[in-house]
Amino acid sequence: MSTPHVVVIGSGLAGLTAAHRLMAGGARVTLVTKGLGGLQLSQGTIDVLGYAPGRVERPLESLASLPAEHPYRTIGAEAVATALGYLTDVVVDDLLAGEAAQNVWLPTAVGAVRPTALAQPSMLGGQCVRGARFVIVGPKQLKDFHPALIAGNLARTDLPDGGRLDARPASFDLPGRDHEVDSSGLTYARALDDPAFRARFAAAVKPLVEPGESVGLPGILGLKDRNAWRALQDLIGHPIFEIPLPPPSVPGMRLNETLTNGLKAARARFILGSKVVGFAADGDVLRSVTLGEAGRQVVIAADAFVLAAGGFESGALDMDSYGVVTDTIFGLPLVGLDAPLIHGDYWGAAQPVFAAGVAVDSSMRVLDGDRVVYANLRAAGGVLAGAQRWQELSGDGIAAASAVIAADSILGGRA
Amino acid sequence: MNDFAHLAVTRASLDNCVKCTICETQCPVMAVTSKFPGPKYIGPQAERFRNGESVDHSLDYCSGCGICTLSCPQGVQIAELNAQARAVMKEDHMPLRDQLVSRTTVMGALMTPVAPLANGALRIKPLRKIVQAIVGIHEDAPMPVANGRTFEAWFNKRPKRTTPAPRGALVFFHGCAGEYFEVETSIKSVEVLEHIGYEVLVPKQGCCGLAQQSNGLFDTATKAVLKLCDELTSAGKDLTIISSSGSCTGMLKHEAHEIMGVDDSRLKDVGTRIRDISEFLLELHDQGELPEDFQRIEQVVPYHAPCQLKSQGMGLPVIPLLELIPGLTVVESGANCCGIAGTYGLKKEKYEIAQAVGKPLFDMVKATNEGLAVCDTETCRWQIRKGTGVQVEHPVWLIHKAYGLS
Ligand SMILES: Cc1cc2nc3c(=O)[nH]c(=O)nc-3n(C[C@H](O)[C@H](O)[C@H](O)COP(=O)(O)OP(=O)(O)OC[C@H]3O[C@@H](n4cnc5c(N)ncnc54)[C@H](O)[C@@H]3O)c2cc1C
Ligand code: SF4
Ligand code: SF4
Repeated sequence: MSTPHVVVIGSGLAGLTAAHRLMAGGARVTLVTKGLGGLQLSQGTIDVLGYAPGRVERPLESLASLPAEHPYRTIGAEAVATALGYLTDVVVDDLLAGEAAQNVWLPTAVGAVRPTALAQPSMLGGQCVRGARFVIVGPKQLKDFHPALIAGNLARTDLPDGGRLDARPASFDLPGRDHEVDSSGLTYARALDDPAFRARFAAAVKPLVEPGESVGLPGILGLKDRNAWRALQDLIGHPIFEIPLPPPSVPGMRLNETLTNGLKAARARFILGSKVVGFAADGDVLRSVTLGEAGRQVVIAADAFVLAAGGFESGALDMDSYGVVTDTIFGLPLVGLDAPLIHGDYWGAAQPVFAAGVAVDSSMRVLDGDRVVYANLRAAGGVLAGAQRWQELSGDGIAAASAVIAADSILGGRA
Repeated sequence: MNDFAHLAVTRASLDNCVKCTICETQCPVMAVTSKFPGPKYIGPQAERFRNGESVDHSLDYCSGCGICTLSCPQGVQIAELNAQARAVMKEDHMPLRDQLVSRTTVMGALMTPVAPLANGALRIKPLRKIVQAIVGIHEDAPMPVANGRTFEAWFNKRPKRTTPAPRGALVFFHGCAGEYFEVETSIKSVEVLEHIGYEVLVPKQGCCGLAQQSNGLFDTATKAVLKLCDELTSAGKDLTIISSSGSCTGMLKHEAHEIMGVDDSRLKDVGTRIRDISEFLLELHDQGELPEDFQRIEQVVPYHAPCQLKSQGMGLPVIPLLELIPGLTVVESGANCCGIAGTYGLKKEKYEIAQAVGKPLFDMVKATNEGLAVCDTETCRWQIRKGTGVQVEHPVWLIHKAYGLS
């Protein structure tokens, strides 16, 4: 194949990563997506494996002990390392740091201690290790950031290294704009892109810090200006770190915008706001997908396709009122559907339904038993069966690595 | 009464909302003012409490740009819900101003024969102050410049084509602005289509009703859009319809149906046959049928895709199309909206907001232009011209030039 045309469906981490890799490998890419993907709902970190089910220290080494049907068993540790290296070194330029092999432990917005593999450099000062001394500080007018809750929980947590850390809360008065009293983190992030606001913010934080403390601030330290947090740290004169907030997640938006803008700059065709509503195939070859654009349906033919439309949370998988689960896009055969899919114990074990999805071979082609369904269709991300992503903290790594395999195997001419 | 707005099925989509806040992060109005609580709140959330009366009049600060609907991964029709709720809210006390700015044909027709006078009048400050006080159009708001001739006058005065058109016939839909104000764009569009081998038919045509729709005047807008469908179809039943009026195309493709509930076979037919001119030309390119003997244009051109064009869910055809021209580099604005959003930015209580929305775009255009910026929709071009002082034209101007037609 000379220059293959590839249609990627979905703009979450899986779709964006696959599209980047395909473009870099010389393919022509059309990315179609119903809406924005899940990245800006994430923490802006890349998790590989956090719990299995106990705390995981070295995620790559733990993959082999996962159950046989887990997507990581097909993906393999090497692909995860390649994918994370690709994201860090090539795609997002200084927005992610760390390594796939080693988890770090960072505080959450409720003061829990959370494992992740890659984090934004602005977060890494918050590593929860024995003897750390934190002051958790935020503006009173910011919603969803409660220093007393965070500091209190952090201070009473037994850390993974067996020790404890010191944390105390503090807050200050500084509206994000006008007289708003419940601004979202995004409002502050936009304001903090402006050096003048940054100076006022720093001036309010500085007197609250005691020597030897690191300052835990909400994850709002600039949106477009990637060095806003460094500038702020210089002004405050103490080490600072960001704690990601619930959505809208500014660190997640940074990742999403960087990945999306990079694709647009590379001249992938990016079609936002239209849903894939149909497809055409000849035997085991997928010919085209049909897009429900305004006013009409548009047929997009391609040489290969990547299904990166996520799972239940994005509507790619659906369960009807009879409990029947379907892939809403290609009607692909699904696995993980035996046994009761939902149990009534809300706080109990993971719900089996969330592990439902498609089974794939080692190049991410979708399987029906042992048979490849469409030779030129790859699946990546949340649609893959076998993982409890949100509980294991495995969704990001699965998405990035399966996307890289899917792209590479298309480029390798096995489309 | 706006029955559809009262009873709309669009409501049903509100249950899809998972409160993810993705729409909030993209809303251009919420980004610049604390007066507007944003799409999630004013759309699916507030809609639950509406029963005729609107619970929160901050709804009126929604510009109707549609960026929220475009970004929502759950298929909630937020902007459509807002437009319907606004129509109901304003039903009995529609301000005279909103009725006036929405009558684009009337404004254009009144201004054309006296263009120099009208243009002069709109530029006189004291007069604009009076207009602001009485009807509420901001004294500094961008206003169209009326052209001395209409597009129709140009079209009808031309010598008739003598050779047969090898590619058959197309219908051209010029829109009100393309008829009265942005006449050059209409002319260049027709000349490009003829140059590549089409016969272009221009039936007599009125307004699509978009401005009335966005101001909540659904009844008049519905009549206008259906009349237009008849007019466009009168030129030939199965012909492709081409438009260089980005936002009016959206009205025909989906807004009349989705926002006002117009469920009429005539609209459905026209809505599937109409193409934005760049969309059409790029389709030809994809099929290997576009003549690409373009002359070099060594230039960097900032491009802003209007919100109402993006809402058509076809991506940004202008960028790959223009980059077929050797030497040309397109820089996408990256801005969700220029602020004008049809007639929103003309209104005195919205003017400051619209300017703030446009600011990053104006800065970008000022920083990247080499004498020209391009944008597909008329009102957006007026807004960007006003905000930057830069010449802003429809992208077809560059295609026209690259074909050696200008
Ligand atoms: C509550 C929750 C918490 C989680 N927490 C974590 C965590 O802490 N760590 C972790 O690693 N993972 C977590 N996950 C899992 C993680 O979010 C997902 O595994 C990951 O985001 C999947 O990315 P994706 O690219 O596959 O899909 P998504 O990000 O969901 O993107 C899917 C894309 O497909 C598009 N799409 C869908 N249908 C269509 C269609 N018909 N046509 C066109 N486009 C379509 C959507 O618009 C969207 O852009 C969590 C999941 C949930 C639900
Ligand atoms: S983007 Fe859609 S689902 Fe998310 S909050 Fe907005 S309306 Fe709700
Ligand atoms: S239509 Fe535009 S202004 Fe209105 S809520 Fe949606 S994004 Fe905001």
